[in-house]
Amino acid sequence: MPVDVETPWSGASRPDSAPLLRVEGVTRHFTVSGRRIDVLRDCTFQVERGEIVAVVGQSGSGKSTLLNVLGLLDRPSGGSYVFDGVDTTRLGEGRRSRLRGEGIGFVFQQFHLLERRTALANVGVPLVLGGVPLLRRRARARELLEAMGLGHRLHSRPHQLSGGEQQRVALARALSRDPALILADEPTGALDAASSTMIMEQLLEQARSRDAAVVVVTHDPQVAGRADRVVELVEGRTR
Amino acid sequence: MPHSLTAGIVLAFAGSRANIARTILSCAGIVVGVGALIMVVSAGDFGQKFATAYGEANAGLPATLHVTVEGRLTDRSALEEDLVRAGGRDLSIYQNPSKTPMLRSGDQVFSDVGFLGVDPSLGDIRRMHLAEGRWFTEADLESRAPVLVVNRTLADELGDLTQIQVGSDRWLDVRVVGVLESTALDFTWYSAYMLRAPASEELLFGTSVDTEDEEDPYVLTRTSQNSYQVRIDPTDPAAHDPFGEIFAERLATTSWRWGIESVDDIWVYRTDYGDEVDAVITYLSLGLAGIAVITLGTGLLGVLNVGLVTVRERRRELATYRALGASRFTLFVAVVMEAVVVSLVAGLIALFGCWAVVTAAGVVTERLVSLPPGVSLGIPVSAVLIGLGSAALVGLLAGVIPAIRALRASVVAGLRE
Ligand SMILES: Nc1ncnc2c1ncn2[C@@H]1O[C@H](COP(=O)(O)OP(=O)(O)OP(=O)(O)O)[C@@H](O)[C@H]1O
Ligand SMILES: [Mg+2]
Repeated sequence: MPVDVETPWSGASRPDSAPLLRVEGVTRHFTVSGRRIDVLRDCTFQVERGEIVAVVGQSGSGKSTLLNVLGLLDRPSGGSYVFDGVDTTRLGEGRRSRLRGEGIGFVFQQFHLLERRTALANVGVPLVLGGVPLLRRRARARELLEAMGLGHRLHSRPHQLSGGEQQRVALARALSRDPALILADEPTGALDAASSTMIMEQLLEQARSRDAAVVVVTHDPQVAGRADRVVELVEGRTR
Repeated sequence: MPHSLTAGIVLAFAGSRANIARTILSCAGIVVGVGALIMVVSAGDFGQKFATAYGEANAGLPATLHVTVEGRLTDRSALEEDLVRAGGRDLSIYQNPSKTPMLRSGDQVFSDVGFLGVDPSLGDIRRMHLAEGRWFTEADLESRAPVLVVNRTLADELGDLTQIQVGSDRWLDVRVVGVLESTALDFTWYSAYMLRAPASEELLFGTSVDTEDEEDPYVLTRTSQNSYQVRIDPTDPAAHDPFGEIFAERLATTSWRWGIESVDDIWVYRTDYGDEVDAVITYLSLGLAGIAVITLGTGLLGVLNVGLVTVRERRRELATYRALGASRFTLFVAVVMEAVVVSLVAGLIALFGCWAVVTAAGVVTERLVSLPPGVSLGIPVSAVLIGLGSAALVGLLAGVIPAIRALRASVVAGLRE
């Protein structure tokens, strides 16, 4: 059956067997003062809908670089990346932004919350970008924060929150548009053990209940152990 | 695209609200510049209105000529026909009495009243602002007593206006039918318009009419200066002739009909000064607006500078927006709109400041002088529009460069900060 990769699968016709994303022979190199650095040499793997995948590897092995490619924040130097049935390597910047906003949620190690904005406003940003009107936006953000156990922190600003609380706000923000994929780059890297456990619990629980896939970069064997599958990066190659 | 535009605007407003300090910081130059611009436009508008109102009340609507014929007239009605033929649309005699009469109210006598003999049509040539009563009508020509319209200053002194008499040799009862609003710039303290009519004939022209001329009382007067106000078409070349030669020449072709030999005895000049005032106000406004624009330019540089600095500081924030799905276009709109919002806030502050100053000035001037009717100190709509419009424009200009920088920045690099 020929597949038109330009058109995203519509919910009804999408076969459940199709993977959410597929990277094939993806490479990424940088040129620093005339010298070429090959960071990703050959990455090939796929992630099913609702699957939890841990990406592990030594520091500098290219895990973050790979995640940037998966998140459409960066373009690979070669190879193909099909997300949700769309060959992203051929897409223009505008459509990539739209796909990113609609289909992908990010959780960063350094949270990347907007300073000076309340938790509620932070969670609302993707909804603003998605054109959700104010009142529905507020209601949705509140609902998500309450689900994260932050119902009493709606109007706090990031600097008034603990690290674990900030990451929960970030998680709520990543979930606000119900993405099919959540990308988390060392989400617990800046947190203590207790908060780490709690964040991972919530991330996995929320993802499972929404049938969202998770790709999480981690150094923590405990986290990796909870994933459905582990992808290891060694010298820019997936294993 | 439409909702990436609205998203940009929403983010911009939220951003400006969240960064009040930054917003205020970059405002200052714009406040001064926009304030200056609003004041210039308001002052120009006020000057224009004042000059127009003053001019129309005291010198006539555009275009009014003052025509003086020196010498003895043999036929005044022929002259008046010729004034119309030469292009006059409205005309009124404008005659200083040959011998200044006095006014009497009770036992008080006023000898320093400026009298002018006029026709009802002067009301079409000048804007008469009546405080009480009315201007002359054709019916007043039938009046047995001379008919007057006096200015308010005089009316206040006269008291009971029904008991007034006029005279130079003997006292005559007069009818005062109207009181004119005094303006801030009235030249004479006490002034009175006297309707040219059979009843005022002797007072104005100082002649006892010869029996043979009884049918036409205006023929053959002893007055040697005969003045008229003549309103002509403003597009008539005669309206733009600085020495009045065109109109004088037109009259001179038939001046023999009314007994004048030479064109040198005919003096014409334009009395209303709309054109000159316009020119002066335009030059002044241009100069002041130039200064305002320079100030505004300095303000623009301020906003631009703050914009560039903050875009650098906000690389991480802008990259975060991108990661959350903001398109380049949305981000561009957000950054430009932030500058526009900042400038508009500055513009509103300036507008409020100007409003406060102008209102205070209005209260003070109202105590000191009386402005012509219909003229008041205030900020006209045009000033509001120009002020806020230029503020928005400055914001737009100042926002574009930082916005382009914001687009170019790498998302991945921004997130690594
Ligand atoms: N923009 C860039 N320019 C040049 N080199 C880069 C760039 N981005 C990443 N690199 C290099 O690519 C390599 C992989 O970086 P990356 O951040 O993906 O590693 P990582 O696996 O996430 O490491 P860590 O576990 O420490 O976060 C590093 O050696 C890094 O210096
Ligand atoms: Mg990394």
